[in-house]
Amino acid sequence: MIEAAAQGPWRIAAIFVTACVVGICSGLFGVGGGVLLVPLLVLLLGFNQHTAQGTSLIALVPPTGLLAFLAYYHAHQVNVKVGLLIIPGVILGGVVGGKLAERMSPWRMRIVFAILLFSLGAWQVASAWTK
Amino acid sequence: MHILVILLLGLAAGILVGLMGIGGGTIVVPALVYLLGMTQHMAQGTSLFMQLLPIGLGALWVYWKAGEVDLRAGIVCAFGMLIGGYAGGSIAVGIPARRLQALFGLFLMMSAALLWRQAGERESGKDAND
Repeated sequence: MIEAAAQGPWRIAAIFVTACVVGICSGLFGVGGGVLLVPLLVLLLGFNQHTAQGTSLIALVPPTGLLAFLAYYHAHQVNVKVGLLIIPGVILGGVVGGKLAERMSPWRMRIVFAILLFSLGAWQVASAWTK
Repeated sequence: MHILVILLLGLAAGILVGLMGIGGGTIVVPALVYLLGMTQHMAQGTSLFMQLLPIGLGALWVYWKAGEVDLRAGIVCAFGMLIGGYAGGSIAVGIPARRLQALFGLFLMMSAALLWRQAGERESGKDAND
């Protein structure tokens, strides 16, 4: 652990600045931000993996995307019905995934997920390009 | 059929939420675009709407019991993300859909690279404390 690198108020300030950057990406891309927050907490702030994930989850309990959501809502870019239908599955799946994560140390799976994300990203770029 | 696809999508996203401690938007946004044919803006807005509720609560409970939560850091992160989110959302609605989709793709690729690096560090035993 490299948490000795920054202590006290500096550490909090570093966390806050990191979170602001994550928030900008979150609003820009409609994601929760955890996908960015977790690696940054580990790589920049020396959190261990499980604590980074737990801390990211607690940061996502309050509606941190509220202001970003309102920006989309005013632009009429929200489908409420589909959003509501996704929620029950996510809550249920979250418990299952959390239990799985406690059981295993999912490093190989993390690499699989990274490949999946990268492919999705490449697909998005390619289809925007050819449209 | 349509509804079943959405429900299953939620379940798949939820498992990722618990497994990785992320919000699930990274999967939900492309899925809404490709499976349901939504526009990029609509998919992102709907994803943000879904995340207004504490959908990670179930997963958080599991981490909390295991003592793997830094409460103070989490609260600081929540404030930072609230403020940053407003800036990001305001920028996004003014960007043409095609460009936003390409930017989203680049964002996913960058996130993937970060995840990869993180996993690589762990794999090589650099971060022994876990």
